[in-house]
Amino acid sequence: MGEALSLLPWIGVVWLFGIGLYGIVTSRHFVHLTGCLAAIQSSSYLLLLAIGYRYGAVAPIFYDKKPGTQAVDPVVQALVLTDVVIGATVSALLLALILQLHKHAGTVDPQAMRPMGRAGVADGRQRRGGRVG
Amino acid sequence: MNAVDVSSREAQATIARRASVLRGAFAALAVALVVAAWPVMRAMPQFGAHPLIYGDRVNAIGPAERHITNMVSAINFDIRGLDTLGEEFMLLCTVTGGTILLRGGRGEDRRAQPGCVRGRANHRPPDSLRLLCRMLAPLTMVFGLYLAINAVLTPGGGFQGGVVIASALLLIYLAEGYAGWRDALGGEFFDAMEGLGAALYALCGFAAMGLGRPYLAVFLPLGSLKSTFSGGSMLIVNLGVTLAVAGGFATLLIEFMEETRALNPGDDADG
Repeated sequence: MGEALSLLPWIGVVWLFGIGLYGIVTSRHFVHLTGCLAAIQSSSYLLLLAIGYRYGAVAPIFYDKKPGTQAVDPVVQALVLTDVVIGATVSALLLALILQLHKHAGTVDPQAMRPMGRAGVADGRQRRGGRVG
Repeated sequence: MNAVDVSSREAQATIARRASVLRGAFAALAVALVVAAWPVMRAMPQFGAHPLIYGDRVNAIGPAERHITNMVSAINFDIRGLDTLGEEFMLLCTVTGGTILLRGGRGEDRRAQPGCVRGRANHRPPDSLRLLCRMLAPLTMVFGLYLAINAVLTPGGGFQGGVVIASALLLIYLAEGYAGWRDALGGEFFDAMEGLGAALYALCGFAAMGLGRPYLAVFLPLGSLKSTFSGGSMLIVNLGVTLAVAGGFATLLIEFMEETRALNPGDDADG
């Protein structure tokens, strides 16, 4: 039981990463895809915080506690802070790209985007007819 | 542009077929991921009961050597100060990139006219919402300042405080509507704030070098433990981060909000 509980944070990390990846793979809307990317990123927050956790320890803030009290790891917490900031800015940049895409192409469906230099979805009929894209 | 029409039944069938292939590939990948992750998870250190060597060192030297009580700030603004400078410039780059992307499609001017998408009604916000937001916006702003100012003492810091300050600006938008919001915020103010904040951070590092210390080393008097003015030049660095984050997010908010403005005759539509 104790061991299963000890595995729980890591299982949560893998699960968050997995559902985020599933969302990206099957996404039909770029804003949804950006949200899925945020879910993947949350798995890294959970991983870092779980690594730095310590049973019975306090937060690494010694304003109301004596310095020297057993505290959790502040290094990973600072990393998570960086992670959150970068995640927010990356989302903003992606959303700006999506807005531009919507303006230029009139769609935000990843499936409707033609892969560069190759035939896209609408050419599937022709490809089945023997034409190589 | 590279978009293709996917409304036809043929295209939908292709997409459905492709989606089932993708789901199959994902299922295989997920199984492989679980198989690969299992030994890694088993080999992970015991959760909550393994030595935290670096963390304990930081927790020991933060209060003793730097006279501050928030260890996360000690790491961000002192021990990993250079990394935070990099993060700061990543923020600057993304804000610049987002602004360029948005302005590229809209033209560069920003004006205080209500945004209106064609075909969408532009109602005045209800009075209850305006009252609530007018009360909440200053409180949120003060809370953001509190978080930013007490960076070295209690949970918070320039990043958190800056984001809370920027969200107070959104509340002002909800209360005042677009025109009032733009009147209140002014034009280029937040651009300058963002750039100057990042510059303040970088220059603070050079000031330390001018005193013959390493880049970004703490130089001013450290003050006493639990005092607002403890931590020396960490306070300047924190101020730079606050300015840059609040300015950067405010700039992004303005640029995104400008997207709702209908194009005027003479505006360059696609830059």
